[in-house]
Amino acid sequence: MNSTTPSERELKGVGFDPTIEHAGSFLLEDLTITQALPRTSAVEVLPLAEAMERYDWVRERYFRLVSREQDAFTREAAATGPSGVFIRAFAGEKVLLPVQSCFLLRTPGLRQVVHNLVVAEEGAELHLVNGCTTARYTDIGTHIGVTEYYVGRNARLTSSMIHHWGDEVEVYPRSAAHIEEGGHFVSNYIAMSRVGMIQMYPTAILERGASATFNSVVYAPAGSKLDLGARAILRGADAAADIISRAVSDGGHVINRGHIIGEVAGSRGHMECNGLLLAEDGVIHAIPELEGRSPEIALSHEASVGMISREELAYLMASGLGEESARSLIIQGFLEVPLADLPPFLQKTVRGLITQAKSGEAV
Amino acid sequence: MDPLIAISDLWVEVGGKSVLRGLDLQIPDGEVHILFGPNGSGKSTLLSAIMGLPGYRITRGTIHFRGKRIDGLASNEIAQLGIGLAFQHPPAIRGVALETFIRSIDRSGSTGEAFHSLHLDSHRKRELNCGFSGGELKRSEILKLTAQSPELILLDEPESGVDLENLAIITEAINRILDKQQPLRLRRRGGLIISHAGFILDYVEANLGHIILDGRIACSGNPHEMFEEIRKEGYEHCVQCLAKRSGEKP
Repeated sequence: MNSTTPSERELKGVGFDPTIEHAGSFLLEDLTITQALPRTSAVEVLPLAEAMERYDWVRERYFRLVSREQDAFTREAAATGPSGVFIRAFAGEKVLLPVQSCFLLRTPGLRQVVHNLVVAEEGAELHLVNGCTTARYTDIGTHIGVTEYYVGRNARLTSSMIHHWGDEVEVYPRSAAHIEEGGHFVSNYIAMSRVGMIQMYPTAILERGASATFNSVVYAPAGSKLDLGARAILRGADAAADIISRAVSDGGHVINRGHIIGEVAGSRGHMECNGLLLAEDGVIHAIPELEGRSPEIALSHEASVGMISREELAYLMASGLGEESARSLIIQGFLEVPLADLPPFLQKTVRGLITQAKSGEAV
Repeated sequence: MDPLIAISDLWVEVGGKSVLRGLDLQIPDGEVHILFGPNGSGKSTLLSAIMGLPGYRITRGTIHFRGKRIDGLASNEIAQLGIGLAFQHPPAIRGVALETFIRSIDRSGSTGEAFHSLHLDSHRKRELNCGFSGGELKRSEILKLTAQSPELILLDEPESGVDLENLAIITEAINRILDKQQPLRLRRRGGLIISHAGFILDYVEANLGHIILDGRIACSGNPHEMFEEIRKEGYEHCVQCLAKRSGEKP
């Protein structure tokens, strides 16, 4: 394989794997779309620019959840135009196979700017596996990604994102989701390798009876700076949000934010913000925020930052495990998050990616 | 032949305080000994020190396991030589499934059966010791020992907080680990069991009992008789008896 071809290994490492059955695929290499393929009539996968030409309603939804004026990065995305992918699951279609997409940064120093728009129409079910990675020889670059998720009434949309960037790459995702009545949105975020800087704070707006779960599992070696968070705005009655994050710092700097805003009676939110520090010079800064705007809501959080428990380590070692294996088991356990919202086979895929990321990079 | 374990003049400090003060104990191959003693006498400290747990500083004396000196070794090395400890209060480890843990330490190849016989099949995916009841914790500790398949098992109050039904399940598994189904001449595995209530004696055949007082073995003998006496007279009686003995033989 020559050096200009992305290796299968890099793509597979972030879940872009043609050998796994899938419902569609999208590949962006640097600034060029090299693949946009639906594999079932239940979904549509198009370059966003093409979808906007084709559908007025897509044009209307472009930059509706994320503001053009939010910051310098959204302004840059607005100036660049609709460069990413449009994915839609048609009303009532239960698409259990995942749609895979991958954003590959090949040219060192490049600024890759993308804008994606995802729609799960009323009653539809759609599962996305998004990988963002760099070619092995690329350590420097910038990725700016705006993604707008529209989850229709009683629809289910899950988005599992795996980041595997180069050492000095800077990454600024700007995403938001709108979840209509009875809809369900899940975001899984996994980053296990060194990266210069990732900064993101996606927002979900939930209408009556809607629910959202944000899971994030990150590992920050020395040199990484991760400023991560998720915000849920519970706008409708009986809306529910869970934000669960596990961060391990082995010398890296992690800011772990979360913000749940309960606006109306009957809404419920829970946050778990847990950090594990492995090295002296690492930092984990947990900033969980709960904001109640109605008396009849239930918001709670659990936050912790600590090191590996000596007692747990002693227990495992007394069972015959060497210190390294014992530490590794504790870290793997710490990073285990519930993925109950994903279909079983996708749970297997995502768990596999977490395990692979852990064994390759983390522990 | 070297005894299974030989402890000689063992002094152990915990948090700067001498808890064991010149303890001697030997367990020959194939034997099970029971350790009685009041709270704070040093029973748990002895098991922890044998296992090499951090925080238990051996300041004097030696521990030999089948002739090999083990004091000073790391606890995983001690475990790998063939000693297993069932903790009285095992820590909960989040995110690690019981099954994953057992698989990672398995040397027996027979844990499938043990999950079943210890009524833990439905706990395979449960996080290790998280939210386990008293009985479940004990059963999972014995499952752990089954997986480790040690030559010497150390049990810290296996019957505390356990109902009779669980006790039967647990002791059956202990007897399996100890090869009790084997004829006497083939049994080499042994155990050291801390017991408060003495119920364990009805389920696991013990060869010898010891009373530990103030950090050393004060008395050894038939475990059933010993327990009977403790039950009737309490440890205060042992203290007086010991004082009398030392008065007779200054």
